[in-house]
Amino acid sequence: RAPVTDQHVMEWVGGVIQHSCSSPLTLLLHFSELLDDILREKPQEADGIDSVVVVDNVPQVGPERLEKLKNVIHKIFSKFGKITTEFYPDADGMTKGYIFLEYASPTQALEAVKNADGYKLDKQHTFRVNLFTDFDKYMNISDEWEAPAKQPFKDFGNMRHWIEDPDCRDQYSVIYEAGERTAIFSNDAKEPITVEERARWTETYVRWSPKGTYLATFHQRGIALWGGEKFKQIQRFSHQGVSLIDFSPCERYVVTFSPLMDTKEDPQAIIIWDILTGQKKRGFHCESSAHWPIFKWSHDGKFFARMTPDTLSIYETPSMGLLDKKSLKITGIKDFSWSPGDNIIAFWVPEDKDIPARVTLMQMPSRQEIRVRNLFNVVDCKLHWQRNGDYLCVKVDRTPKGTQGVVTNFEIFRMREKQVPVDVVEMKESIIAFAWEPNGSKFAVLHGESPRINASFYHVKNNGKIELIKMFDKQQANSIFWSPQGQFMVLAGLRSMNGALAFVDTSDCTMMNIAEHYMASDVEWDPTGRYVVTSVSWWSHKVDNAYWLWTFQGRLLQKNNKDRFCQLLWRPRPPTLLSTEQIKMIKKDLKKYSKIFEQKDRLSQSKASKDLVDKRRAMMEDYRRYREEALKIYQEQKSIRLELRGGVGTDELDSNVDDWEEETIEFFINEEIIPIGDL
Amino acid sequence: MFGHERSITQIKYNREGDLLFSVAKDTVTNVWYSVNGERLGTYNGHTGAVWCVDCDWDTKNVLTGSADNSCRLWDCETEDNQPYLTVPCSDHKITSAVWGPLGEFVIAGHENGEINQFSAKSGEILKKAKEHTKQINDIQTSVDLTMFISASKDNTAKLFDSTSLDHIKTFKTERPVNSAAISPIMDHVVMGGGQEAMEVTTTSTRIGKFEARFFHAAYEEEFGRVKGHFGPINCVAFHPDGKSYSSGGEDGYVRIHYFDPQYFDFELEA
Repeated sequence: RAPVTDQHVMEWVGGVIQHSCSSPLTLLLHFSELLDDILREKPQEADGIDSVVVVDNVPQVGPERLEKLKNVIHKIFSKFGKITTEFYPDADGMTKGYIFLEYASPTQALEAVKNADGYKLDKQHTFRVNLFTDFDKYMNISDEWEAPAKQPFKDFGNMRHWIEDPDCRDQYSVIYEAGERTAIFSNDAKEPITVEERARWTETYVRWSPKGTYLATFHQRGIALWGGEKFKQIQRFSHQGVSLIDFSPCERYVVTFSPLMDTKEDPQAIIIWDILTGQKKRGFHCESSAHWPIFKWSHDGKFFARMTPDTLSIYETPSMGLLDKKSLKITGIKDFSWSPGDNIIAFWVPEDKDIPARVTLMQMPSRQEIRVRNLFNVVDCKLHWQRNGDYLCVKVDRTPKGTQGVVTNFEIFRMREKQVPVDVVEMKESIIAFAWEPNGSKFAVLHGESPRINASFYHVKNNGKIELIKMFDKQQANSIFWSPQGQFMVLAGLRSMNGALAFVDTSDCTMMNIAEHYMASDVEWDPTGRYVVTSVSWWSHKVDNAYWLWTFQGRLLQKNNKDRFCQLLWRPRPPTLLSTEQIKMIKKDLKKYSKIFEQKDRLSQSKASKDLVDKRRAMMEDYRRYREEALKIYQEQKSIRLELRGGVGTDELDSNVDDWEEETIEFFINEEIIPIGDL
Repeated sequence: MFGHERSITQIKYNREGDLLFSVAKDTVTNVWYSVNGERLGTYNGHTGAVWCVDCDWDTKNVLTGSADNSCRLWDCETEDNQPYLTVPCSDHKITSAVWGPLGEFVIAGHENGEINQFSAKSGEILKKAKEHTKQINDIQTSVDLTMFISASKDNTAKLFDSTSLDHIKTFKTERPVNSAAISPIMDHVVMGGGQEAMEVTTTSTRIGKFEARFFHAAYEEEFGRVKGHFGPINCVAFHPDGKSYSSGGEDGYVRIHYFDPQYFDFELEA
């Protein structure tokens, strides 16, 4: 905004007195009183001051060009309303470079500010337009800068406390009792250890932040973040009716969406918050939340972007402003995504007349196009990044010329190689699922049509070839779940396929185990890749709600039934603090560490057995004691029982042998026909 | 054994265990030899589903309760019958009932999970227990009547002392429990159950997979399951000698199982 000085005000007032006009302004007579009034009082509707705007950066002209200037100004500014008064202060024969315009109403003045501020008249003159009343507001800011009051330090304790568990147990959240209760458990192979359990902690569901630091809960008024050893409330964000959230990968920002709060002047559908300060950084409109998250973050949290028709808007943090102050115009853009390893965006546009469809890789922030790939006869494309950004797979559905059917190709972009070469894998059947090995160079595909569904494993080799390692046919699977550490994976037939599970080791493509969790709706790997949880959520199936814990090899460890179990989410781990060298050293000495852990495991196993045995012994003693008491009373009542049944003893089955009747029953066992030779 | 057109609602052994009575929603009451499953006879006369059956201590009379709002007392041998009692409905309806050890009170389970002791003389409530959170489906006593087990829709069965109504043990499953029984000779209980017909929304591929579950009475731990029914199990009962048990199911079948020797030797490590 233009710099504010008393000079502006005094000029204006002086000018008004000189100017003869029948507007309300002329009611102000005395200079000093006027000054005081204006500087002291808050502007009111009746004063008419709200209808005045100040325009800065107006060309300074002499009297010969003044008429022309006035015409130009009039042309531009009468678009917003009726100009009732205009004043062009001058000095030494030239206009000063700022002017005052009065409109017929305050709303018109507002329109002028909104639309003309920033108007580029010519190369040297860009108008700055302000409401006169804003000067008043800004001039009333005290000259003395008051330091903000010191907030008491909120100690949340060690926010990474769970990582320090001596037995390296990971945590997971469980929502059950149809959402009434939420609990946090520590994963012990024997049985879950309750860390925290609260009623009505969340109103719908929960989310962990990407590095596991915060647990987010949903409420009618907004979301809350919890963390630290005791899960205290760290921060609260007010967003009425919030339904969806997304975290930036660096955990600095959280994005909330509510379908309720959106007005034209104040975009409130999507809000981006700074987690540490709790401040609202920026609000955005949102037409539809169909593809959440609407804003996609770069891996380092430096940028976030969204797609609107024909436009890709990229914003930078922490300013929250558009990168280079403008969006990218990309006609027909259908989809985009960030590389999870670098600040590269991949996007694709469909065919346009004679221009083929194409996939583009663009470097940010330079906007340099690293790679463009033309595709022909495209029906649809899907972008699949490998988790480290080493590869991009574009699944292309095409209708080749002269045919009716749709075929699928996988275009594999090798991101780490010079000029990003692209290899193509042609698939003969329709694709059900695709997934990259998280930190490797393999990918798995489920293809075909029920009941003939096949699982194929491919390896992207360094020599430019993509090799089909193995194909398993007739699989009961509709989803692929790789271990976050790679190599192992689970092929699952969820929901309608009744929970069929196959545990695969992709180092030699063998099936380690085939099992079933009837009606399983979800599969979740723990962050270390040691355990898998399969679960039947009450949200999809009303009975048998439980979560089962398996080892990565498919050995079932626990069955945990929970009344109306809804959702289990593992708490993510922050990236390791070890360097690659340190990890190498540990792997070298693994045998040494294994010995120590095995011993520890054996001790805890025998302790568990001992605990169980002790518990059982105690229960049996209690039970025996109770039975002895009951039996004593029973014996004492024997005479009463005899009396009740007319002297007939019925305490034992053989109490009354004399009364027994012997009955012989014949029943048919077998029939055998033996031919007796020819007689 | 197949002898009913519709789902079995209850089965009962007589005191000596040589006979097994079964009743079902098809209004029919059957009696079988428990040794070989041969049907002895049928009692016809009810006009509604028969929900419960019991015979007296010397197997002279059989008592049945039915949805036609009547109780019928039958002479065991002659299949003769006279309507005995018509019972009107009321709130918190009683879903199951057994006699106390000396006939001085009746223990009843209600639709809302309550268990009450009613004096047999005055009808007033002597003791109350609210341990279950949903409907009581079945109550069965131990052979000496000192304790009883209640089976509930809340997925558990609980063991109580008959006289004090003290809650002694709980056995947890993940399905509604329709029936439970106490072994006469071992520290075991057997439970049968399954989801309600209304709640089965998908075609189950688990044909024949409804199981009877055996729990250790003192440790509250499950140690065995028996498959075989094609639908939920509605009733279970131990033979009075404890060497076999029976189950009646929604599929209309009554199954009699004799335990193999390992069952009697089995022990959980303690």
